[in-house]
Amino acid sequence: MRKIWTVAKTEYLNAVRSKAFIIGIVMLPVMMSGSLIVGKLTKDKVDIRPRKLAVVDQSGWLAEKIETRAAARNEKDIFDPVNKTKQIRPAFVIERVAAQSADEKVEVALSERVRKKDLFAFLVIRSNIVDSAATNTVSYFTETASFVELPGWLDNVLTDEITRKRFEGAGVDQALVARLTKRINVRQLGLTEVDQSGQVIKAKETNRMATFMIPFASMMMMFMLVMSSAPALLNSVLEEKMQKIAEVLVSSVTPFELMAGKLIGTLFVSLTLSVLYIGGAALLLTQMALTGYVDPSLILWFLVFQLLGLLIFGAVFIAIGSACSEIRDAQSLMTPAMMMIVLPMFCLVPVLESPSSTFSRAISLFPPATPMLMTLRIASKPGPPLWEILLGVVLCSAFTIFCLWAAAKVFRIGILSQGQAPTVGKMIKWVFSK
Amino acid sequence: MSASPPSFAVNLVNVTKRFGTQVAVNDLSLQVPTGSIYGFIGPNGSGKTTTIRMILHIFLADSGTVEVLGRQGTRSANDDIGYLPEERGLYKKMTVRRMLLYYAALKGVGEKAAGPEVDRWLERMDLTPWAKKNVEALSKGMAQKVQFISSVLSKPKLLILDEPFSGLDPVNLEVLRSAILDVRQQGTTVIFSTHNMTTAEEMCDYIFMIYRGNKVLDGTLSSIRATYGEDTIRLRVQGGRAALRGVEGVEVTRDFGQHLDIRNPGDPQALLQRIAAKARVELFEVTTPSLHDIFVRIARPEVKEEANA
Repeated sequence: MRKIWTVAKTEYLNAVRSKAFIIGIVMLPVMMSGSLIVGKLTKDKVDIRPRKLAVVDQSGWLAEKIETRAAARNEKDIFDPVNKTKQIRPAFVIERVAAQSADEKVEVALSERVRKKDLFAFLVIRSNIVDSAATNTVSYFTETASFVELPGWLDNVLTDEITRKRFEGAGVDQALVARLTKRINVRQLGLTEVDQSGQVIKAKETNRMATFMIPFASMMMMFMLVMSSAPALLNSVLEEKMQKIAEVLVSSVTPFELMAGKLIGTLFVSLTLSVLYIGGAALLLTQMALTGYVDPSLILWFLVFQLLGLLIFGAVFIAIGSACSEIRDAQSLMTPAMMMIVLPMFCLVPVLESPSSTFSRAISLFPPATPMLMTLRIASKPGPPLWEILLGVVLCSAFTIFCLWAAAKVFRIGILSQGQAPTVGKMIKWVFSK
Repeated sequence: MSASPPSFAVNLVNVTKRFGTQVAVNDLSLQVPTGSIYGFIGPNGSGKTTTIRMILHIFLADSGTVEVLGRQGTRSANDDIGYLPEERGLYKKMTVRRMLLYYAALKGVGEKAAGPEVDRWLERMDLTPWAKKNVEALSKGMAQKVQFISSVLSKPKLLILDEPFSGLDPVNLEVLRSAILDVRQQGTTVIFSTHNMTTAEEMCDYIFMIYRGNKVLDGTLSSIRATYGEDTIRLRVQGGRAALRGVEGVEVTRDFGQHLDIRNPGDPQALLQRIAAKARVELFEVTTPSLHDIFVRIARPEVKEEANA
């Protein structure tokens, strides 16, 4: 037992002193806040050069409306709402092109101008656009399809103007139309509760932070913790084999002591990371006054599943590392193991959208996926019933014990094997050898 | 453990180890007396390392008994065994001192006890300036010395060295040789394997040779030589080896350049006369075969087979 601690301590110290660990500490917050920061930074870097749009208008009246609306937009909508003089959106410049009939030559000529950057895009409106039975389509031609602001704006403006024209044609009062076609907003609320004194507590508006961000962040954190620790075990065992350190080690400790020490060391590395992460997250939530959305039991379950997840994947990677003598061999065996870690990520969206569906319940009880998906479900309020969580813990623990047992068998033989590139079949044979 | 050390540090009785269908070590019995230096020799792949690994209980014997430092069939003696494997195993990214302390701790020696011992050995091996450097900065010879230090830090009762001298320059070889002799002086039993027969002859009290898994030699150097008798003649003639062509009964076992060793099971006097009739004899000495010759006599068939393969 003392030797297990000696191994664990050295593994831990080696890991926390390494650059990879420092990067690991920084990586998650950076990745999480990265998009925010990049978003903020690039907000000022918007390309505000004017976009020139040619309008081939066969209807005879729409081009003018578009021009008017564009002028109105260029006057106020393209500036920062706070700092009124700072332009943050590009202006739209409209050029009217006279064309009496649908002429392909016109389209060819305008396309050429777009290629020469003389125009950004052009729009072709047919003469029968007001007749909803005839057409509901206008054509927008551009090289830069990724710029969606202009077509999106056109969509709104044209729908507006054309429906107004259609109502006018039908003799309906505009004010009446405006009143009758007002959009309906769906306001999202939590549930109404009754407190101990029987007082009804009104439902609060749900916060996207609570319904989406917290479960999402919890699972991402679990994923990062497993990913940053378990595969590292493979490298560490492989190094010991390739550098022939393994033989020195097993002359002093049993293969089991060695494996246990390495796993425990890694466990502590990962716990150190999670303490830092959870601490950081708690600080962030306090800052944003969102602590009410996190149940303290979430942290407890998180740590339980982190432990199980690490032992499962740690055992798998340690076994692979011990069976291989070359990085190349290890890489091909690593792929299925990596798939097991990534699998829950594919289930993220369906489980997040419907945490109590049959699919979500079943997949979260599938042991290799339990640590991540059960955490996701627990973090999604109201969370699964306690018996499901406990069943998950029991199944997952049983699977963990199986993985550890099998890994110990493979490790015992693998750690001293040389040369032969192992197959999965051979490793299974090792597991069941006496 | 009993108060007095067992008379044999290692006692193997009818030990056999198979890998699949291949017999790596066959029915081996071997007694290594406490306090001796025991040399393991044998061609590559003949079973030396397997035998060593069985002594360390890294491999378990399929049959027979393995008794080490008076304890049978368990790893419990391992903390009292120092081991230098044939292929060096050091953590490149750890500093020399920290790694040595780790290796000592794995043998159950805490930092308090191991610290001064590490410093003493580093000093003795001229490695003190490297104590805080990463292992990857060491030269091959220095790494070898560090590996040796790691095997003696726990003051083992049994020290097993697999090819301790390979790749060392003469200066470092001397440093290591005297260190091994010192450790033995303090009562440690030493087993080492080597391909260098001269080193084995000079250092070992006993020689054990294993060939294709079978013990072929075991005993003191003089007893081994005696079994082969005085059938070797050291010879120097003018004109060298070419001058001996056509002389009946001359089988050159080794051409040293300056002299030849020839094997002569018959009467040396008759041979001398036959040679003298053909060439001018400068040296003619009747002697026992060297360990090298004995090794080659046993292992040559295999070497030839390998060359043909």
